[in-house]
Amino acid sequence: MNLDWTVIWDHRGAFVAGVVNTVLLTVLTMLVSIPGGIAVMLLRVSRWRVLRAIGLAYVEFFRNIPLILLVYWVFYVLPVMVEVFLPPFATGLLALSLIISAYNAETFRAGVNSIRQGQVDAALALGMSYAQVMRIVVLPQAVRRVLPIFASTWVSLFKDTSLVSVIAVDELAYSALQVRAQTFRILEVLTAMAVIYWCLGYPQAKLVDWLHRKFGVQE
Amino acid sequence: MNRIAGETRRKGADRPPVVVYEDVVKRYGAFKALDGVSAQVHAGEVVCLIGPSGSGKSTLLRCTNALETIHGGRILFDGAPLPTRESETRRVRRRMGMVFQNFELFPHMTALDNVASGPMTVLGRPRQEARDRAMALLAKVGLQDKAASHPGMLSGGQQQRVAIARALAMDPEVMLFDEPTSALDPETVGEVLNVMTALAEEGMTMVVVTHEMSFARRVGHWTIVFDRGRVVEQGPPEQIFNSPQEERTRDFLGHIGWGQ
Amino acid sequence: MEIDLSPLVENWRYLARGLWMTLTLSFWTMVAATILGTAVALGRIYGPRWFRPILTFYVDSTRSIPVLVVLVWTFFAFPVAFGITLPPYWAALIALTLHITAYIAEIVRAGLTSIRPGQTRAALALGMSRLQLIRVVLLPQAFVRVLPPFGSQLAITVKNSAIASVIAVPEYLHSTATLAAQTYRPIELYTTALILFFVIIFPITRTVDSVYRRLAHLGRS
Repeated sequence: MNLDWTVIWDHRGAFVAGVVNTVLLTVLTMLVSIPGGIAVMLLRVSRWRVLRAIGLAYVEFFRNIPLILLVYWVFYVLPVMVEVFLPPFATGLLALSLIISAYNAETFRAGVNSIRQGQVDAALALGMSYAQVMRIVVLPQAVRRVLPIFASTWVSLFKDTSLVSVIAVDELAYSALQVRAQTFRILEVLTAMAVIYWCLGYPQAKLVDWLHRKFGVQE
Repeated sequence: MNRIAGETRRKGADRPPVVVYEDVVKRYGAFKALDGVSAQVHAGEVVCLIGPSGSGKSTLLRCTNALETIHGGRILFDGAPLPTRESETRRVRRRMGMVFQNFELFPHMTALDNVASGPMTVLGRPRQEARDRAMALLAKVGLQDKAASHPGMLSGGQQQRVAIARALAMDPEVMLFDEPTSALDPETVGEVLNVMTALAEEGMTMVVVTHEMSFARRVGHWTIVFDRGRVVEQGPPEQIFNSPQEERTRDFLGHIGWGQ
Repeated sequence: MEIDLSPLVENWRYLARGLWMTLTLSFWTMVAATILGTAVALGRIYGPRWFRPILTFYVDSTRSIPVLVVLVWTFFAFPVAFGITLPPYWAALIALTLHITAYIAEIVRAGLTSIRPGQTRAALALGMSRLQLIRVVLLPQAFVRVLPPFGSQLAITVKNSAIASVIAVPEYLHSTATLAAQTYRPIELYTTALILFFVIIFPITRTVDSVYRRLAHLGRS
């Protein structure tokens, strides 16, 4: 077994581009899924039963299916159904956003619910306006509650972007597999891919731990 | 300075003491929880440890069955110092029973299985034999019809009585009680104290950390007053409660409303 | 858009085999991961001091790497590194188990450390050994306590099993994709797959949660 690690350096451009796309995909998905999650959450807590049912169905469905299957579905079925052809990157973004919005909706809902009604009552009794109650009492506490869970979702999303490689989106996993196909240096390339993910993911995981320690709620 | 009065008239003093504390010292970092405690427990005696919170009473109790280690002095059980090796410590613990303030029944077992858990797991008794014995002990504390209940379904007083039965199942030579009624509603305190009183009348050697002064006075044979890790005074309850010799004893009793 | 279910009907046996593979792969992964994860959790709490950082490193690293990467490495790179070829099913089982074990270990560890120290004292006071304490008193309570997150991990395992399709494990997604390419009928096949996975995964967390509600008092000390 002779190893040639120089291929990694030779193809560093592909790896770097892959990392860039992974980060880009993660950021864009989150940018779409925060308002998306808020929208679904509002459905969940709405006064109308039909809207609540739709919100619940959305959340339960998208949290209980495999992401990779949804990627395939959006890629193969959606164009035929609604005759819209999305490039692979957008397809991946759509599939990821649908699912992450569902998770965010639940996270935000937990944050809002974690504020006891008594807190709101006390603030109102002091004479605060509803907007002030939101700004001074509810949101700061909700954000504290939400932040660690949100960070966990972010890290999971970061890892899940690897799944859109199956539809040839050139994020890190796809780029690495392409390099492997070109150079036939299987062990070196795959190990490099794992190491790069580790270097990116490990600090994020530690950050999430820190956030849980700092803001986590003790049951 | 320990004032020991009526030493020779102590119950069980004709035989060697069951537990001896010789200048016991225990530290948590720089803090001295026990600062040279000396006392004795004789067979069949009920020794009550009283004093303010944090004075070291519970700590001494936990050192007695080696749940905590001491840093100075000795504790003798049945004439021998407490062992240091884990396997020998376990054997000593089998000969002592401990009852905790928070009952600490095992929630995933029924009351019957809780009482049988010691004999089955530690003594290796066959299941049916352990369970039969457990049922008898539950009857003794008045809870035979709760045998199949889980701790979550029992009141505090009932749980504590099961806990006493669990400790008794090991046939201990001495029973250690760590504030057994402090976590109970006032209504249920009585049922637990009744069980403890019956146990005392049967001649069980007991060391009880308690705030129930009426129990210490009526049922106890010897009272030890603690303050800040030291024994302030010890003697028969009549002396401690009726004519305390030490200033700090009087302060403590006055503070908790024990008026004369 | 007409719906033609014939590819489903004609190939139901093929798809059924894929479904069976999904279920067995998920089941055995979960069994292995539960055993190993509990061992890792115990190792982190009670193991020798020098060993714990290694376990911690394993757990933290697993959370940093995507499942796809572990699967692909196990199937393609492991044979090159160690000279042993792994059939797709075994590569998937090993890779998925390695991945989920880390999460189970964290869950069990959290469960064990959440038990009141008084329980340990009571068991030791009875004269139990450390081993008996863990086996008879702590682990049963911990398992009850962590049922809800455990149920989530079970659901995640089934979702992860679908990723094994990329290393040609003939589970349900792989069967669907193969059939879709052959019959040119992606809509019916992929939509059925979506519904089928939902029908399998959705009840998992619900069932575990309802079991937990009935057993919760067994873990409350």
